[in-house]
Amino acid sequence: MLQLQKLSLTQFKNYDWQQWLFNERIVAICGPNGSGKTNLLDALYYLCFTKSYFSRQDALLVQRGKQGLRIEGNFLKDDNKNDIVCVIRENNKKEFSLNGEEYKRFSEHIGKFPCVMIAPDDVELITGASEERRKFIDTILSQCNAIYLQQLIDYNKIMQQRNSLLKAAAEHQRLDDALLDILDEQLTGLGQSIYDQRSIFLQQLIPLSIEAYHSIAQKEDGLSINYDSQLHNRSLKELLKENRQRDLYLQRTSCGVHKDDLEIQMHGQAFKSIASQGQRKSLLFAMKLAEFELLKQQKGFPPILLLDDVFEKLDATRMHHLLEKVCKKKDAQVFITDTHRERLEKALTELKVHFQLITLDN
Amino acid sequence: MQLPSSLLENAVAEFAKLPGVGKKTALRLVLHLLKQDVAEVQHFGETIAKMRRDIKFCQRCHNVSDGDICSICANSMRNRQLICVVENIRDVIAIESTQQFNGTYHVLGGIISPLDGIGPDQLTIESLVQRIEKESIEEIIFALSPNIQGDTTIYYIQKKIHHLPCKVTTIARGIAFGGELEYADEMTLARSLANRLPVQQYVKG
Repeated sequence: MLQLQKLSLTQFKNYDWQQWLFNERIVAICGPNGSGKTNLLDALYYLCFTKSYFSRQDALLVQRGKQGLRIEGNFLKDDNKNDIVCVIRENNKKEFSLNGEEYKRFSEHIGKFPCVMIAPDDVELITGASEERRKFIDTILSQCNAIYLQQLIDYNKIMQQRNSLLKAAAEHQRLDDALLDILDEQLTGLGQSIYDQRSIFLQQLIPLSIEAYHSIAQKEDGLSINYDSQLHNRSLKELLKENRQRDLYLQRTSCGVHKDDLEIQMHGQAFKSIASQGQRKSLLFAMKLAEFELLKQQKGFPPILLLDDVFEKLDATRMHHLLEKVCKKKDAQVFITDTHRERLEKALTELKVHFQLITLDN
Repeated sequence: MQLPSSLLENAVAEFAKLPGVGKKTALRLVLHLLKQDVAEVQHFGETIAKMRRDIKFCQRCHNVSDGDICSICANSMRNRQLICVVENIRDVIAIESTQQFNGTYHVLGGIISPLDGIGPDQLTIESLVQRIEKESIEEIIFALSPNIQGDTTIYYIQKKIHHLPCKVTTIARGIAFGGELEYADEMTLARSLANRLPVQQYVKG
């Protein structure tokens, strides 16, 4: 069991200095727009992933007009206390430490304190380009398997080299075939292995997502999700060989696992073009819950769940099923935000679970 | 920085062009030279100019050399049928200081990386292939950095010479000497397990 007991923020976003104690498994946070609900969740996410969910630049997290910030969290993991501290100094240098010991490589921290964030903008995962869905798959797989991450990094590096070679060939009107052969061979080994691991992983993720969707929507909606890859029918070796002329013309690699996607359909049609906003959101939650399930299986304990503004766009029944699923059937610590205090309070009271209510004001 | 003399300023600017040297270090070096005798500084300057002017690259292995052929290639005690392929001259120095290698070298001058605009043509690969053909080389040992570009380079050269009766090997990859096993990264450890050694060979080391 992983649980956050205390969170202290100093000069983080809109917080000058603030501290919260969390003594219930379910924490409800309400307050008007701009009161810092999402910032609180983001601070928590930061402690788990050494980076913000929303902002790429650490400097943007510092309170306006101030210099430096500090985030401190006291986690309880299997009855052991863990203190995570992140300090960004005045010169934007980042220090990250667990129980007083500073990390040399931040990547070592990732995966130790798993959490899953669900935020409104995440609907991109359903409606956006295939890149979003690959990122979603890769993030989960990388957390569970360090070798996969390394192979993915290597694959991308070799592809960059290959693309540069294709560009140079077009510029100089001359191609070193032997070198392209070698790069293709290197790409093939890695690409094939990535494909195999994604296939196995998706055989677990897809059924879990569909099952979660059904339990939120309480109906089928004719939903189907399939792993779409050029490698289904041909090996990467054959694909690269067949498309070489085309690649030379396009000056980039047109086939491989970097084109993989999840094909989501409703009644046989593309989900993103016919699904309603509520249905999209239901599917988003379903996929995130599947991520939660898989991480839980992998780690042996449930990750922390962060639900940001989930009440928007969902009807009351779907909302009820979602909350029932996350608050009652799971044993994870859950943080939920909403702008309407009454709505949140009512929904959680109906579920008959113990919860802590935190009200933020401007 | 305000300097009282333009001569001084020029000298500082030249030193600051060197890698790892900033304006302040450059000034410190120049002021040090200023304290020396004129003759000594003259000697200093001439040594550097002469080094750049007179130095040659070995026609056989592309190592730095005083003559057309470097001292390693000219040494008759060395096994000329054995070539160690390295990226640059610093690697030659590193391997030489082990005093464990009795063959000759071949300096590639870099590794293949189209991303950095380095293709096989910019390297001395062609001359290596010719050496292997003409000098009836028995074995080449690749001593390149263990990364993707290093692998690309090895595969590329191997393909170019696979029709020749020459053994191709690469330096071992694995756990470093004097290291603690628990601190080895997973990739290295996994690789060491895959390429493990029979103990007999290990003890003979």
